[in-house]
Amino acid sequence: MPLLTATGITRRYGGVVALDNVSIEVNAGEVLGLLGANGSGKSTLSSILAGDNRPDAGTLSLDAHRLPPGEPRAARAAGIAIAHQHPGLAPDLPVWENVFLGAEMCRRGRFLNRTAARRRAAQLLSSLRAGWNLDLPAGQLSVADQQLVEIAKALALEPRVLIFDEPTAALAAAEVDSLMRVIRALAARGTAIVFISHRMAEIQALCDRVMVLCNGRHAGELLVQGKLDEARVLAWMGGAADVDMHGESAAARRHSQHSPRMSAVITASAPNDISPIALSARGLRAGARLRGVEFELRQGEILGVAGLQGHGQEELLDALAGYRKLDDGEITLDGAPIAVRSPRQMIDAGVCLVPNDRHRQGLWLDHSVEFNLAQVAANFQREPWRLRSASIRQLVDFAVKRLRIKTSDARQPVRALSGGNQQKVVIGRWLDRRIKVLLLSDPTKGVDVIARKEIYEAIGALTEAGAAAIVYASDTDELLAVCDRLIVMYEGRVVAQLEGPDMNEARVTSALFGRSAA
Amino acid sequence: MKAGLTERLQPAREQPVHSLRQCIHAITSRNSSALPGVAMLLIVLACNAFLQPDFFSADSLSSNLQNAAPVILVCMAQAVIVLLGELDLSVGSGISLINCVLAAVPSLTGWGTAATCVAALVIAVAAGVCNGLLVGYLRQSALIATFATGAIWFGGALLLMPQPGGAVPEILGEWFAMRVGVFPLAAIPVLAACALWALLQRHRFGRRLIATGSSADAVFKSGVDTRLVKLLGYVLAWLFVFGAALCISAQTSSGDARLGLPYTLNSVAAVVIGGISLAGGRGSMLGAICGALVLVLIGNVVYFAGIPSNYQEVFKGAVILLALGCTFIGARKPA
Repeated sequence: MPLLTATGITRRYGGVVALDNVSIEVNAGEVLGLLGANGSGKSTLSSILAGDNRPDAGTLSLDAHRLPPGEPRAARAAGIAIAHQHPGLAPDLPVWENVFLGAEMCRRGRFLNRTAARRRAAQLLSSLRAGWNLDLPAGQLSVADQQLVEIAKALALEPRVLIFDEPTAALAAAEVDSLMRVIRALAARGTAIVFISHRMAEIQALCDRVMVLCNGRHAGELLVQGKLDEARVLAWMGGAADVDMHGESAAARRHSQHSPRMSAVITASAPNDISPIALSARGLRAGARLRGVEFELRQGEILGVAGLQGHGQEELLDALAGYRKLDDGEITLDGAPIAVRSPRQMIDAGVCLVPNDRHRQGLWLDHSVEFNLAQVAANFQREPWRLRSASIRQLVDFAVKRLRIKTSDARQPVRALSGGNQQKVVIGRWLDRRIKVLLLSDPTKGVDVIARKEIYEAIGALTEAGAAAIVYASDTDELLAVCDRLIVMYEGRVVAQLEGPDMNEARVTSALFGRSAA
Repeated sequence: MKAGLTERLQPAREQPVHSLRQCIHAITSRNSSALPGVAMLLIVLACNAFLQPDFFSADSLSSNLQNAAPVILVCMAQAVIVLLGELDLSVGSGISLINCVLAAVPSLTGWGTAATCVAALVIAVAAGVCNGLLVGYLRQSALIATFATGAIWFGGALLLMPQPGGAVPEILGEWFAMRVGVFPLAAIPVLAACALWALLQRHRFGRRLIATGSSADAVFKSGVDTRLVKLLGYVLAWLFVFGAALCISAQTSSGDARLGLPYTLNSVAAVVIGGISLAGGRGSMLGAICGALVLVLIGNVVYFAGIPSNYQEVFKGAVILLALGCTFIGARKPA
């Protein structure tokens, strides 16, 4: 007898059917993996299970008791909790209060029991990562730490059903490991768990059963016994037909460990030592996060930056893009030293950033694809009061074609696009100028395997044209697959530069923990 | 035995406060957004003390407090709303309405002081509920909704009292001007409001109020009925507005439908000088109180500095701009 049952769930947004008659059952003590490409309806389904979203049809029941749909409070009272993909925290409240947001630990008369709440918050958070400042406002945490607080918030409810919507997208490997430990312990105690992730390795390691959604429909379901049948899952995910033009998915390739295929696809003309240096950095220092970073980037090269969360990778990209003031250090661009003063100056020099948080920093979600693509060009036009619609249309057509942005109409709001295509729009807005160096901060976060490949193909197309790219991604496998060279950061310094045969998982992992000097 | 005793004497605490320095640090970091407001207050206070030699005499302090009490209360009311992430442009005409009720009802109905005050309190709470329903449950823009209700309160006040006049129960004015030793009774409404707020900051509702201002969406998804939080927030604010109206009425002892109008925008200015973010969720009540005192004392300074009366408003505006500039610089902390 399943603990949570949802039958015949249908949800439409306007004319688009997000979920079409989907049923799902979760048993107590089971970890159910929910898989599907972006836009397949995973998040919609999970938010309906949690009561955050009201389905147009279908029923929900917990322990054979019907639950009212679309009532977050009823769902929580019944024992269903969700850790959202985008953390729902009150940014001005301290970390410990956020853990108990809406479920405060109270004494008589609903006065807060601060001592007990702080102790419990510390306990929950340290099961995920050590070293928290409980009094820091949650808005000042990194994206990864906010995700961990969101997870702790769900754990604090001690629910019977716990839904994780892409909890690991923003997390580094060590944090993923502790989260998996916590989830296993919960399942052993009888909690039913729904786990959404794009990373096959996590699904394989954690889940007892997987369910696959494709275009809002239930595409298949199978038990994970020892090994996950990846080929079948991927076929279900892609609706069998358009899974992958090469009959093999990017994820499958990544997990086959040696994966020269994708990098071969992307960097047909792999750069060598003869290519001139596009950008070099010497002794970059900024605050506590950058403590003397040195590296060189050659033209046409994709340089990967690996590192655990908070070791300075994001700060490095921000500094190169002119968003973060450097305390010290020297940057040369095409051999000429450049004093970084502002983002505008770096953009003029051809250094462009694809920021980490595409929803908040990269896009105007409610505006059209065209508007988003044209913003940069419009900003830098010589006569900003005369927007030439012809030249903008040209740019939009060019970007849509070049990056293969899937959109029915350039006037469609960006919000309606899938995550992968949204990211392509962020990249596409730089295409009106000559890009010398493209900086990408976790470009494939929350993006499915197919879109992931397309994003890297788009980057590859740019590097073939002579640009260089620096990519930071939290997923090391991905960096190994797509980059020509890799630098590993630890405590604000580059501790390893790896290329060729040295560029393997073992070397990267030991460098991530600062154990190897290059 | 001895160990047991010391344990009982030292209750377990997460972070024991060791020294005065840590204590000060804890207070300042919690109220860091109020620091520019506090600094501004100290400057204005110094100017005032310099220009008005008997500033620190009991009489002068008491009369200043009588002037300041309603301003502080109405600014606290606005602070509650702004922390909630909303705005209330009807507090000023609300003060007028309550003032007119206090001045007109006794002669119209023959009710005693207590009954009149209760009637005024009921009207204040009703106004808070009305604004709360519009903003919380009907999801109207607070700016427009409270602008409209403000016009209605003002209209109501005019209907009650087309001409200034009437008589507020005398006992209010007598109490308000009274002093027990050096302690002026005018301080009581302010202290009561501060105590209520301090208590609420240890209460679930008070924290949910701040959380809702910080991110209503997050709080709603956490299973809290944010509509109710907003409604109750408005009601709380209007309790403070009631206190303010009571103080003003006691001071003027008559009714005037135009009496409260300038308080609306003054309260918004004070809240901003006090470092409370208009986006909601960030700031402290201490800041709002400092902002209110700055506004009151600026009036004093202008008067005692002998600035010609026609220039007073210009000067006052310039000082407020300066205060806002300080707040702005103070807010740009290094990350």
